[in-house]
Amino acid sequence: MELMNKLNSPTMYLICGSIIAFIAAVCVVFLVRAYRTGISMGMDKAKLNRVIVSSASFTVLPAVAILLGVIALSGSLGIPWPWLRLSVIGALHYETQVASAAAEAEGMSSLSAAEMTAGSFTTICLLMSICIIWGPLLCVLLNKRYSNRLKSTGANENKTGGGFGDRAVTGMFIGLVSAYIGRYVGELVSGNGKFSFRGDPLPLIVAAVAALVMAGLMWIKDKKEVEWIESFSLCGSMLIAMAAAIILAPLV
Amino acid sequence: MSESDKNKLFEEYSARTHVIGRICDSITLLLLVGAPFVIGIYLGAMPSLSSAARAFLAVGLVWMASGIVEYFVYTPMLGAGGSYLAFITGNLINLKIPCAVTSRDIAGTKIGTPENEIISTISIATSSLVTILVIAAGVALLIPLQPVLSSPALQPAFEQVVPALFGAMAYKYFRGNLNIALPPLILISLVFCIVPTLSSATSFMIIPCGALAIGLSWMKYRRTSN
Repeated sequence: MELMNKLNSPTMYLICGSIIAFIAAVCVVFLVRAYRTGISMGMDKAKLNRVIVSSASFTVLPAVAILLGVIALSGSLGIPWPWLRLSVIGALHYETQVASAAAEAEGMSSLSAAEMTAGSFTTICLLMSICIIWGPLLCVLLNKRYSNRLKSTGANENKTGGGFGDRAVTGMFIGLVSAYIGRYVGELVSGNGKFSFRGDPLPLIVAAVAALVMAGLMWIKDKKEVEWIESFSLCGSMLIAMAAAIILAPLV
Repeated sequence: MSESDKNKLFEEYSARTHVIGRICDSITLLLLVGAPFVIGIYLGAMPSLSSAARAFLAVGLVWMASGIVEYFVYTPMLGAGGSYLAFITGNLINLKIPCAVTSRDIAGTKIGTPENEIISTISIATSSLVTILVIAAGVALLIPLQPVLSSPALQPAFEQVVPALFGAMAYKYFRGNLNIALPPLILISLVFCIVPTLSSATSFMIIPCGALAIGLSWMKYRRTSN
């Protein structure tokens, strides 16, 4: 109990809050520089503002879900550390998995406040920090060279009237979405015994509801020429599908 | 503004972005890796390096491979400025990438163009700031909010946020690309049906699915460009 009080102390809030504040300041610098450069390059100010509104509205729902992750981890790690990890670099599935592995390596039976010591807590924090440094590290080491290479590929495509880069990225995204939708199919068909069709159907149903709502919103946008609806289409589809989950969960 | 002036302006912006990005990401890495040691001083117990090394061998190598793949796959989608930000602000698959891709669609920009670089950076910076603000507000209100957010009635909704996201994105990306989307979707569905335990390694399954979809896109591209 004494340890949990220390994990939730003002000092912990100060340590974690300072890092979050630094990263927030970095975001502001990038945002302002990009916005000003876009205007100087002659980009449409209204379009840039639409992107800001769309990004902000799209983020609110997932951010609330991330906040739930903070609540979920706060029972064993206190509030400030999960607040730091999930506000910036991490993701709930990663943090939970790595924290559990570190807890096991420390000889704990599970990630629980009851077994936590100050030493095991700092070890868990270190592992959570180290395991996910590769993206930023590669950015520091390779980003300039890699970006220039991508730029020259794009330039060559433009010269030849190609544009396979765009199609490749769309292909990668199709692959990403397929992997997750395929997983939901697998969970339904074999989640509770191979080909028993007694697994959890909810993720697949929710995905289908979201796709249907998105189809409806895109139809309204195209047929009625309501352009602004696109900014809220993803957020709206997700919200309605998540609301459907509340209704459907007791039935499936 | 002439095209050459625009390109010169963007080149200057781009060069400065790399300098700022490298400095900021380096400081962030130092802060994040240093924080457990600072907390160790406060708590009077330093991290155990041997336990951390053991745990790293168990799960860290997987995340290292995943992190390296993510860098090379996602950087073209995010652009230079966007990637400096996205990799330090996290939540890439479930938030930053769909956000950047949606913004690209709204702005009608093409990958690799200066305009796309600007749009992507604005989108990811905005998304990161909103995430930080929402979570900070939530943490400030955590005690009064906890009963509402963790009420059993709302849990199914928050548990399904990722399926809701991918369902909506599926419509956007499968529409007009069914001949590219169906083969990986059918194949990976079969794989998950035959080996259901693979669902815990979904992020790795993105690689073969993406490779297949890119291969099919390439074939379609060659057919239409000939």
